[in-house]
Amino acid sequence: MIDDAGNLSIDFLVGFTIFMITLIYVATLIPTLFIGLQSSSIDYDAVAYRTSVILAEDPGMPYNPSWETLPNISDSQILRFGLALSKDTPNILTPEKINRFFCSTEFVYPTDYQSRAVFGDYPYQFNISLQMAGSNVTQSIGDILPEDTIGRSVGTYGYSRRVIKVKEHSNATLDFSNFVVNTGPTPAPPSSLPLGIYTQNATTQDFSVYFNYTYLLNSGPDYNSIAYQINPLAPSGANGLIGGEGALINLTGLQALPKNGATVNLSSISIYKSISEAPLNTVQGSFGGPELPPKNPSQFLLYIDGNTTPVTSLPCNVTSNLSLYIPPGLLSYLGEGDTSTLLNVTMQFQLSQQDWYLNSTQVTPYGAFNYNYTNPNITQPHLEDGVMEVAVW
Amino acid sequence: MVNDRGQLFTIEGVAASMIMLFTTYLVLGATTVYTPGDSHISDMQLEQIGSDALKMMNTPSNCTSTSCVSQLQAIVNESDFTPAGQNQALIDFNTTFLNYVNNRTGSMSDNLHYTANITFRDYTDAANPNSTGSYILAFNRNLTGVEHPVRVTEWVLIGPPNFPQGIVLPRNSGYQPQPRAVLVEVLLWRD
Repeated sequence: MIDDAGNLSIDFLVGFTIFMITLIYVATLIPTLFIGLQSSSIDYDAVAYRTSVILAEDPGMPYNPSWETLPNISDSQILRFGLALSKDTPNILTPEKINRFFCSTEFVYPTDYQSRAVFGDYPYQFNISLQMAGSNVTQSIGDILPEDTIGRSVGTYGYSRRVIKVKEHSNATLDFSNFVVNTGPTPAPPSSLPLGIYTQNATTQDFSVYFNYTYLLNSGPDYNSIAYQINPLAPSGANGLIGGEGALINLTGLQALPKNGATVNLSSISIYKSISEAPLNTVQGSFGGPELPPKNPSQFLLYIDGNTTPVTSLPCNVTSNLSLYIPPGLLSYLGEGDTSTLLNVTMQFQLSQQDWYLNSTQVTPYGAFNYNYTNPNITQPHLEDGVMEVAVW
Repeated sequence: MVNDRGQLFTIEGVAASMIMLFTTYLVLGATTVYTPGDSHISDMQLEQIGSDALKMMNTPSNCTSTSCVSQLQAIVNESDFTPAGQNQALIDFNTTFLNYVNNRTGSMSDNLHYTANITFRDYTDAANPNSTGSYILAFNRNLTGVEHPVRVTEWVLIGPPNFPQGIVLPRNSGYQPQPRAVLVEVLLWRD
């Protein structure tokens, strides 16, 4: 006997099958969707935070010689970007590292930055920007932000903002515009001259700048904090001509010095070095050198009378001002890592006739303008405010 | 014989289920679900900015062998109990702190609000030498209770002989004339 007892309705079978498929599908889909949504934003924020910490609080790797001084990224010696001055000074960055980091012609976005700052296997897009307070110039690398909203935190992109300071290096500016010769039986230094400057009535005159590495490295303000230190041995590059800290010497108002109408030329710039403290006015007796060719100032940046092209050979006429920039790393290169180095940078001037001009040989105790922490004509290292943002998506 | 056995009467149901399934997929795929747990991210970002700002305010911009005072130290020092001192400290802290926390790269700035106060060991109560005092240092908006602020702090070393200035210390107050630390506490939030 054939009847319909025990048969399943095909409607039931179809419905039940659809229900089960749907249930299984949804059960597997929903967690995947939520995990995907949450993990992306949380991951983006975490990566942005990590990147900002690496950039703001880490000096990078290698540290000495510092990564920003290495000549070429293609040799893969640069392992990690970091803009901090040192690991002990978080949020205090150096201008050399900032400029090298944002050099888009040297580093390729995103590959160089992904492997040295952002890290991770996922091919993130990102934008890193930095702006100094009071400036409308923004340095940045990366893609354009997908959406520029204020205060968003989750969803569009991961974000981290860091308040930073940038260490600006020292410089010496000596203005002679108000120079007046003191009349008297002896050529006393006029009161209108900056501290550490002397003048003499002669045809050949030497103006020396004196760097005492021991003093500079041990007598900095704020318990010798590296943030305010004039550090001639800062990490330098392989060839010694990039990286580290530089020194800028500006001489202005020079036209006021010659009182007898002499014309002046800068005949040489010589560097003498010693490791024992001795007065330089003893004709640099304990000093060896010159260390570099005196007639070839190309190892410096030498600007004369407002000309924007650096002088490449000496002698050269000087009328009103002179700017000598000892580039970052040269002081370190000359010191060869020796903290007891004494360095004397001497500019020699030849006058067309006997006249008053720059002469530091009679200055006590070193016969030179002392580049130190107390001279009022030296703008000491200081910190400028800024902000850095990292966005990752 | 032709009858209705084996016929699918629920084609509408099948179609509806497919549509619902597809709709569910679209909705879930297009929606960002902001769960309570995610709020820690924006809180963390605010804490980071506030902490950085206080730290940078407490880092001197210029330092010489004779003077090395941060903006925050100067503000705390001038924020004594005199009305003039408090007013000047309020202005200085407000300007400096808001510059730090609102500055962004680019032309747009952020819009954060805060209240800041100072907590210090109170030497005026000789009977209770471990008591603390506090007062409001500065603010740019009052807390009404509906905000969701984060708290950031910074210890500040100060050097006046008596803090707050202007108070008369009782005898045997236990105060030692040496640099001491006071706590600057900031509640920071975004509308």
